Amino acid sequence: MTMGRILPFTTDPHRETRDLMPWLVTGRLEADEQARVEAHLATCDECARTLKAERALAGAVAELPIATGISWAAMRDRLDAAARQTAILPPPAPRWRLGMKQIGVVLAAQAALLAAAVSITVRTIGPVAPYHALGSAPVTTGGNVIVVFRPDLRESDMRRLLKDSDARLVDGPTAANAYVLRVPEAERTDALARLRGDAAVVLAEPIDAASLR
Amino acid sequence: MSDGSVAHRQTGETGVEATPEDLRLFARVRARERDAFEALYRLYHPRLARFLLNLLHRPQLVEEVLNDTLFVVWDRSDTFRGASKLSTWIFAIAYRKAMKALRRLDEPIEDRENDLRLDDHDAPDAPVSRRRAQEALLAALARLSPDHRAVVDLTYFHEMGYREIAEIVDCPVDTVKTRMFHARRHLRRMFDGELADWL
Repeated sequence: MTMGRILPFTTDPHRETRDLMPWLVTGRLEADEQARVEAHLATCDECARTLKAERALAGAVAELPIATGISWAAMRDRLDAAARQTAILPPPAPRWRLGMKQIGVVLAAQAALLAAAVSITVRTIGPVAPYHALGSAPVTTGGNVIVVFRPDLRESDMRRLLKDSDARLVDGPTAANAYVLRVPEAERTDALARLRGDAAVVLAEPIDAASLR
Repeated sequence: MSDGSVAHRQTGETGVEATPEDLRLFARVRARERDAFEALYRLYHPRLARFLLNLLHRPQLVEEVLNDTLFVVWDRSDTFRGASKLSTWIFAIAYRKAMKALRRLDEPIEDRENDLRLDDHDAPDAPVSRRRAQEALLAALARLSPDHRAVVDLTYFHEMGYREIAEIVDCPVDTVKTRMFHARRHLRRMFDGELADWL
């Protein structure tokens, strides 16, 4: 059995003063540390000399005029792009904060989201290719449920939801942050009910490419 | 970088201590208020830009890492639990992203060429000797590893304590002290004779 290396507690005041000097200069020591360091400085000429050089170095580094710039425009563009992607999703606010008016807005947004997600899904489902040539674009088939999770859902919770519903992930996230799932046809109604009953699910709807044509 | 502003630390300013105002602003950011985020962005940008410029020495990369960092602050604000100070959390994100960017570059950790320049518009009437000393200091800093530069800048410019720095760079406090000790020794050696200006 090997023992972990035990580091000795620093009791050498000279070494402690040497190590803590930068934070003495910037006033960032705890009161007890500062008292010990100052007591040593009063008796050690070498440390007192080092302290002068330390103050000079700290001042010089802090005063270096390094150019920085504000580039809010780039960040604003990025936020706009992110907002466009999730424009129709409700913000990740706790549900209990939603009043009736907000609930109406969320429901309307969800309806819009469903329409957008289904149209994206229908485009991705397309006709089934009879064969795959190497280099062919992958063809996504087999989804029969579309679901939108809460934006703050953890990946582990998503996995749990999929397992509980006996669902496989077929596609997604789409541009509207929706996922296309495949659940056994005979259990689709139950799976939908289970998904809709979970607080982490914003929307769960059946999809059927044939019925949408 | 879009303009020539310079991150200055005013005398008496206490580094990046989170103030109640910072926290109020952040609470509004969590509520997805865009104007609050812009205010927080403008508050932290100069400090982070200075920190990242010192760390990365590549202005183009600084812009990218800085915006990545602040985008996380906006996008993942719910992950700040208040276990540390707001500034510690933000600087830790910036540090992790900066180190990741450096690894991605797959370049030697020491800079081949110091790409950091003093701002020519700042203190144009500064004595030549001081200007020369600043150039020498910048060159000496460039010879340090990014890890050491981060500790130096967080200590002297941002006036953070060693415990907070240890949280940001995710290492033991003794490692922070050791890095600082070696960095100071190197800087004093390289900077010998020029320090008199600041005495």
